[in-house]
Formats: sequence, C-alpha cells, structure tokens
Amino acid sequence: MAEASWQARGVVKGQATGAAMISRTALSFLGDLDIRSGKVVGRSSDLLGDCVAGRVLVLPASRGSAGAWRFLYQLKVHGTHPAALILKELPDPSVTQGAILAGVPIVVEPAAAFWDELTNGDIVQVDGDSGCITRR
Amino acid sequence: MKLSDRDLALLDGAEGGAARQAMAALVQLGEAYDAPDMVDIGYAHVHAGMALYKGDVELIEATADQGARMVVPVSTNIANADMGNWQATGAPESLGLLQKRAEVAHRLMGSATSFTCTPYWAGHWPTWNMHIASIESGVTVFANSVLGARSNRDGFFAVYAGMTGRYPRFGLHLDRNRQPTHRVTVTARPRGTADFTALGYVIGTAVGSGVPLIRGLQARPSPDELDALGVGMATSGGVAMFVVPGVTPPYPDEADAPGLPEAEVGEADIAGVFDAFCTGAETGFDLVHLGCPHASFEEMKHYAALLSGRRVAPGVELWVTTSRAVRRMAQDAGLIAPMVAAGARVVSDTCPISCHFACSCSPDPKLGVVPPRLRTIVVDSAKQAHYVRDMIQCPTLFTTSELAVETAVTGQFQPRRRHNG
Repeated sequence: MAEASWQARGVVKGQATGAAMISRTALSFLGDLDIRSGKVVGRSSDLLGDCVAGRVLVLPASRGSAGAWRFLYQLKVHGTHPAALILKELPDPSVTQGAILAGVPIVVEPAAAFWDELTNGDIVQVDGDSGCITRR
Repeated sequence: MKLSDRDLALLDGAEGGAARQAMAALVQLGEAYDAPDMVDIGYAHVHAGMALYKGDVELIEATADQGARMVVPVSTNIANADMGNWQATGAPESLGLLQKRAEVAHRLMGSATSFTCTPYWAGHWPTWNMHIASIESGVTVFANSVLGARSNRDGFFAVYAGMTGRYPRFGLHLDRNRQPTHRVTVTARPRGTADFTALGYVIGTAVGSGVPLIRGLQARPSPDELDALGVGMATSGGVAMFVVPGVTPPYPDEADAPGLPEAEVGEADIAGVFDAFCTGAETGFDLVHLGCPHASFEEMKHYAALLSGRRVAPGVELWVTTSRAVRRMAQDAGLIAPMVAAGARVVSDTCPISCHFACSCSPDPKLGVVPPRLRTIVVDSAKQAHYVRDMIQCPTLFTTSELAVETAVTGQFQPRRRHNG
C-alpha cells in the first residue's frame, strides 16, 4: 500500500496509529457499542458485530447523544476504545468532551480524496494536533 | 481563541493542578468549535460520578483529590443508587457504598449534593441570559427554553466549567444559534405531564437537533408540563432548546417563524407514542413508576392526592422518584405519609433507568451487580419509556400519571384514552 497523506482538521489533540475501520453509517457512542467487548451492537450500523478496539474508526458522523462522552470514556476504562476517530463532520460537544477525557484523537473534514483513496484495514496515523492523516 | 488574564493564569497553574487541567480541556473544546473566547458561567449542573460505570466514581474522587473546588453554584446529576436507602430498591451494599463515595467527593468540592435530573425543582434556578453548563439534557432544554439561560448539551466538562467559572462561547451561548429552525403546529390538546412528554417526543423525532418554534398550544403549559415537553424532545432528538412564544425568553406572544421547515402534531401522533411504548402484557407488570424526570413539589402533591386512601395491589411495586430536596419539602407538607400508607416507595437520587436495573452499564464485576429480571414497567413518561427499552431492555406500558396510579391500585393496566376531551 502506497504511503499517502491527507489534511484534515484537528479537533482532539494527540497521535495514534491503527488499522482503518470504515463505516458508511452514523454511529452513536451511547447504545451502538458494547463497552466490555468494544463490539458494535447497534443494528443501524454497517459495522454490526465488528470490534472497534484499537482501530482508527472512520465515520460519516456520530449520532448525537448527551451521554456519548461517558460511553467513550468507558471504552477507554475497559481498554476497548478506538485508537482515533476520523469524521466527515464536527461531532456533538459530548463526543468531543469524551474523546478529550479518554485521550482519543479526532480529526474531521478530511480532504475529499481521502474518502476515495483509503481502504479498510490500511494502517493510518492520525495526528490530532496538525490534523494530518498518514497511511503507512 | 482570546483568553482573559485569569484564563491564562489558570493555564499557568495559578489556581492549582486541577484547575489547570480543566482550563486546558476547555480551551481545547473551544478551539474545536471555533469559539472566539470564553464566557463567565453562573451555574453548572455536573456529573454525579456513577457507581454502575467502572472507574467513574473514582474519576470524581480523583478530581476532588487533585484540589478541584467549585467557584460557581453547582448541583449534581442523578446517580445510580438511593444513597439514603439503597436497600429498599434491592441494590447491593457494595453499589450503595461506592455511590456514597461520590457524595463525599462532591461535598469536598463544594457541589450541592442534589443528585437529581431536575435541580431547578430543588432550588437551582438559573436566570435569563446566564451562561451555564449542564451534563443533563433535560436541564439544558429547560434552562434554554423556559428560563432563558444559555446552555449546550455538555458531558463531563460541566465539572470543568464549575471549577473554573468559564466555558467557551459556542453553540447555544451565541444568539445566532438561539433562533428557530423549524415551525411546529400543534393541533392536539395535550393535558398533563405524560401527554407533554409524548408531544415532545414527536417533536424531537421531527426536528432532530433543531430549535422548534411551537405554536397552537391552547393554554400556557404549567412549569411541570414545560419540563415534560423539553425532556421528551431531548430524548427522541438532540433538541437543546425550543421556543414557545410568550413563554421562552425573549420571544413575545406574536413570535413566529414563517418560511422554515414545517411539522404538525395531531392527536394521532401523541396517541402513537403511547401505543409504541405499550409493548408489555397488560397484567404482567412488576413495577409502576411515577416521577420522570424527578418529581416537582407540585407533582408530589398530585401523586399524594391520587394515592390518598388507596392501596397498591398485591404483587405490584409503585415507585415515586424525586430529589432529596423535594422529598424533604413533601415530607414537611405531609405528602409522603399518604403515599407510603398506600404502599408506594419514595426513591431519591436515582430512578428505574438510572439504578441497577439497567443492563447496558459496565460496573466493576467486583461489585456483584446483577440486574433483576423485570417483566414489564408501567411508566407515565416517554423519556422513562425510551430508556427502559434501551437500558433495562424490558417491555413498557405507557399511560398518564392518573391512570398509572389506577393501574397500580387495581393491578390491571389502564391505557390512556386515545382522545383528550
């Protein structure tokens, strides 16, 4: 896989690397994920049954819930949290607050080419400070 | 982002490590949402520290131990056990004792130990144009829509706001986001809090995270009905603010929102919410619940009147949930005695969906929490119904408060009539 990089907007600071897990459906951190296993249990998600632990989760959007922060933080407590989040749009403040608390970097609004060029399983590094996404 | 001299001093650690960490997190939040600067907040409603989530009470304890102290009035949100009498709800000793550790930490930080989703009924009543932070979506929508205060739907950072007295200026702290996005016409005639939670639930489904302007209500809703309306739409949608002309500051009676996306709510829509949350068998219920969100003094008066001289049917449990403060007021007013005489259980600090009944939590296995197997819960709130489905994961029967009491007394479910007269 060719090395490549895309510019996005850094939202939550920090660096993380992991295998990309790409979804085409919105995900709610309250209800769509089983905290203990990190598995997607929400039936509206195309990731149903997959485990997000350690992955760079690529989502069109997060579905809003004021409790999202607590579940993101619980994933961290249980070691089942995604390594980083890449979102098409800015998430709810609750998601951002949970990610800051859990130390999960978030970048949003990546350059258009990103959506065509990234493949499931690509190893990517996410830099929440600079907003840069790099494929290794 | 423009920071004040005090913001910068906090970032330098002038008020200690905990305040430094809080301010750094608030700055990061503000930068994420392009906040131009920070506002002074007048009040924060903060996370209780929840014993049913591993490491969560410890997070509040660590914050207190690092020297965090609240610099504005702070109330605490609903918790996972009745800290005065967890035994009565069947909660394990280990859970009650862990939950009480959060109470100790909050006392140390100077938070009021309210442990309620309705702190306004317990005396925390922010006023027009006051910037606040709130972890509870019901508090956010009540503050924005009924009191005219300014609040986003926050998470843990309400604690940081309380510790620093600051919050980044974005979202509903800005005038431009406090304008209606939808025009909703109500042709139904909702009466009582259960109906208003259902009306809110329909509106939240229709507008998502928009700001609905609501017209067509026949009379000014009571404070309890406004509360119910808000929690309904904060549950089904991401609504943080609604506008009822003549009620929501500063919108006058004649305020309207022509040209915006329209929605209409009729009797059938409200009845549809009641129907959708009647999924249980009409005789096989274990628990009847009143008080979602936590009952106000007025609601306690109403429940006491309904229960006075009655007796809950054998094999049925009736819970009335309210805050400690309102419970104390109700006690003074002689309202608890008739409820208890009727066989009802008055529960504070928690509620069915917030206590150990929930299956979707992640307690430390050491606590030995085993959610009881419940057949069906009868509720008088669309919010409680929604979360019973998702968190306790058992069927519900949804009716009005009056008919929920009849249900408890007769042991036979009493559905809401389809049309209000």
